[in-house]
Amino acid sequence: MKTNLRKNSKAIIILVIIAAFLFVAARGMSGRDVLITVLRGFSTGSVTFLVAAGFSLIFGLLDVLNLAQGTLYMIGAYVGWTVYVRPDTFIDVLTPVLLILAGFSLSALWGRLASRIQLAPKARKIISWLLILAGLGLLALVLTRYPIAIWNLNNYSESPITYSYMADQGLRIIPAEVTFEKISPFLAIAGLLVSSAISAFGIALLNRNESRSQTINWRKFLVPALLLLGGILAAVFNAQITSWMFAMSTNWLFVIAILIAILSGVGLGALMETTLIRPLYSRPIYQLMLTLGLGTIGLQIVQAVWGRPEFVWPKPEFFTGTGGACPATNLADLLENNCSTVFLLGGRVRVYDEIFIPIVGIIVLIVVWILLKRSRIGMIIRAGVQDRQMVEALGINVRRVFTLVFALGVGLATFGGALAAPSTGLTPVMGERLLLSALIALAIGGLTSFPGAALGSLLVGLIQQFMIKYGQIGIPLPFTDVVFKPSPPLVPASTVLLMVIVLLILPGGLLGSKE
Amino acid sequence: MSNILEVKNIHSFINQFHILQDVDFVVPEGSITALLGRNGAGKTTTLKSILGLASVREGKVIFEGREVQGMPPFEIAALGIGFVPEHRAIFRDLSVEENLKIAERNKGDLDRKRTFIFDLFPDLKKFLNLRGTDLSGGQQQMLAIARALVADNSLLLIDEPSEGLAPVIIEHMIDAIRQLSEQSTVVLVEQNFLVASKLAKYFVIIEEGKSVASGLMKDLEADKAMIHRYLGAA
Repeated sequence: MKTNLRKNSKAIIILVIIAAFLFVAARGMSGRDVLITVLRGFSTGSVTFLVAAGFSLIFGLLDVLNLAQGTLYMIGAYVGWTVYVRPDTFIDVLTPVLLILAGFSLSALWGRLASRIQLAPKARKIISWLLILAGLGLLALVLTRYPIAIWNLNNYSESPITYSYMADQGLRIIPAEVTFEKISPFLAIAGLLVSSAISAFGIALLNRNESRSQTINWRKFLVPALLLLGGILAAVFNAQITSWMFAMSTNWLFVIAILIAILSGVGLGALMETTLIRPLYSRPIYQLMLTLGLGTIGLQIVQAVWGRPEFVWPKPEFFTGTGGACPATNLADLLENNCSTVFLLGGRVRVYDEIFIPIVGIIVLIVVWILLKRSRIGMIIRAGVQDRQMVEALGINVRRVFTLVFALGVGLATFGGALAAPSTGLTPVMGERLLLSALIALAIGGLTSFPGAALGSLLVGLIQQFMIKYGQIGIPLPFTDVVFKPSPPLVPASTVLLMVIVLLILPGGLLGSKE
Repeated sequence: MSNILEVKNIHSFINQFHILQDVDFVVPEGSITALLGRNGAGKTTTLKSILGLASVREGKVIFEGREVQGMPPFEIAALGIGFVPEHRAIFRDLSVEENLKIAERNKGDLDRKRTFIFDLFPDLKKFLNLRGTDLSGGQQQMLAIARALVADNSLLLIDEPSEGLAPVIIEHMIDAIRQLSEQSTVVLVEQNFLVASKLAKYFVIIEEGKSVASGLMKDLEADKAMIHRYLGAA
């Protein structure tokens, strides 16, 4: 009986909120405006959901509040933009990144070697730090001499803004190639590999207790070998791959850009968890400060590399058609002309912003839901949220699952950034804004509940878009003739207000657990 | 008869608390050994130390001839140790079927063991699709034991199987544990001396973090003075 009431009270509150929404929304707004605003709400909600879902997965299993999630969202956008607008830079960067990863991914082997070395604890500590520092120093030495074609923030005609603008106009400037001048290619490749291997060995020596029972077989060498091969191929065929990517249809380039953004998130997440978060599991406050600090560092790096000014990510061909039967009124016209807008209920709706993004959001929701409910890894995650020790006592390596979930959560955030950027543009403040929305969405929906993250994000998206719309057309206040136009600061404030109301009634959020 | 498990003078810590101060006993293969002692004597911590869930700072834990102290818990468990913890630790958000499935170490473990498990606990079959939250205490206990049987475990660590159960269900549990002990060795922590004496062939008494006595259960049953001294009741 009691549980029944509880479940009902939640449903009632959700219904009341939605009903109030619809009631207010319908006043003084044409059906067309309502439709567009709802679609925009879904769009904002989808992007918020990607970040919030990652946050909630990580918090649920690992108990880590990843406050860097906003910055990672932003990094996803900037990485995706780079692949899309400057494929040459991307290919140039690919080689060093893959080679460094190859050096580090031999850590199993290093662990094995390190466990054979007998040293006094103090000497081991000193030697391993010396090795790490020497490796990183050598790495810096090679990287600063490594040729990478990149934009120039100080020269407007070579700035990201110009490249974006030209790409948007369909004029792709193919920038001049850079060549190995300060270092020979062989030395560069060997240097990257050796320096990362030295620091990886230092790290292995530092935590040698952890790796004492690892066994070595050929599979452990497969990943490093593939990374090494990839890195070398990217270096050898640099020019060919670059010109091929510049000539590619922007639709495919867009797909590649999104995939690279996701992969970079997964990689960054795995790196963060294994090197920085892992030593701090027993110190939650330090973890919080660590993720906050990493967020700030990431923001500074983005500003240093891509600059502060805002620029756009031109949409791919598939979403930019204007000729022929555009705006399209039916699906056939839309697909044939790649229209940028369609007519829906008498209103013009942007295909990418208001249709594509919500669809992607819903697909991700379904895929992650199935992953959680149907796969073995999902089962382990759900069990681990409740009782990590018991999962471990069953013989399951929970640490590896932790790394995986952290990587997945960060990957969702970078995916969100790359998906949103063609619609919102890129600016260094995009991350903070979204982190705030995502946290509010999670508080509304319930911090560790996956459906809660979706519902909360949707509500936050809708309320934001309705406030923006009312800022343009004004709300006729009930019983008076006054028309109230909410000012822009009221947009985030309204979401906070919704959060306060929900939390006063249901402290655990709409779908959160009672604990 | 060889010993499947040897615990040699271990000292264990939970956080900074020194819980076990010299626990020492052996578990012969193919038997049931009961760990006895008052509340807070360190019986549960002994089980956790074997699995690596409590950190063993001194001494050795030898399982099937291999030193396991200091290894991560999942690797120790994967050597073939099943754990049925105090309060059962059923995964509430998982169905009964999933609670069993998650314990698989190799694909198909559950299908292989299905008949064995359901012969032992026929009731489990009925609520296979219920969620962990919806089970009664006795059903949870059955599930917790069944979960430890899914993978091929040569040693089972069972903590307080009779705790909070009705007498009829306790009888059932005793039968089940006796039956499964034909397949694997069992180390049992039990407050209820009657239950322990019905099941176990050997006993170990732990008092304030030290193992103080061990031997054959039937000798202990005859020694009322010792029972009174260490267990306080009989």
